Amino acid sequence: MILVLGGVGAGKKAYVNSLGYEDADFTSDPNDRKPVFAGLDAYIRENPTDPEELLRALVKKDVVICAEVGSGVIPLERADRVYRETVGRLCVRLAKEATAVVRLVAGIPVVIKGNV
Amino acid sequence: MMILITGGSGCGKSFFAEQLCMKQPGQKYYLAAMQPYGEEGEARIRRHRAMREGKGFETVERYTDYASLKLPARCTALLECIANLTANEMFGPDGSVTDPVERVLNGVSAVSKQCEMLIVITNDVGGDGVRYEASTDAYIHAIGQINAVLAERADTVIEMVAGIPLILKGQLKGF
Repeated sequence: MILVLGGVGAGKKAYVNSLGYEDADFTSDPNDRKPVFAGLDAYIRENPTDPEELLRALVKKDVVICAEVGSGVIPLERADRVYRETVGRLCVRLAKEATAVVRLVAGIPVVIKGNV
Repeated sequence: MMILITGGSGCGKSFFAEQLCMKQPGQKYYLAAMQPYGEEGEARIRRHRAMREGKGFETVERYTDYASLKLPARCTALLECIANLTANEMFGPDGSVTDPVERVLNGVSAVSKQCEMLIVITNDVGGDGVRYEASTDAYIHAIGQINAVLAERADTVIEMVAGIPLILKGQLKGF
């Protein structure tokens, strides 16, 4: 599994397309059989889930895409703080399981773990 | 030497910093700048305490004025974190707002002089693209300024991303 990170609009999807995955390969349902899970950040915000169960489903994917949401001022709302931290901690665990981690910066893929 | 560690929420800064400290011989101090506000703050502090348990840290709770902090002996220290320290130095309990930059920088300097190794944890708070009211804006700018000076003084600067240390400056032996 390759974990693809980066800010909103940093070029994560275009990068995954460049690896040979077409739009039809993308899904936002972790239990779908399509190879690319896109939008882990939005999924966590919208679906209160058991992180263990989610992790088990996601490690089976070819690619997991998640926006980095942990920077900036600590949000006033508790739910926003919990959300940021949940996304961050799940990414730490996914990165550990991943064969490669790629971070997009202004459209440039920076490989921070393994090889792609 | 001084190591500066930055990174977003939940990216593994504390855990990594503790791992670095564990490689150092001698007395280790955990310098806690976070005030235990409310149940969530207490839970965070409990979590950090549990992580440090059995790792030989002595905890020093210190919310402001690191310039006058005297550590008993030369040691390894982990200061967590600049965002909290800056807020404590900037926003008084009486509602007053003062420029925190000098006090934070002088404080870190004073601690650093007493350490074989000082690890400082900070955050990148300027990255969310949101416009805040004036004092929060000033707070964001202050941390940006402080981070830039600390990074210049630090031997090594690391950004944590999903638990992976990215070395932005200097070297990190053994990693």
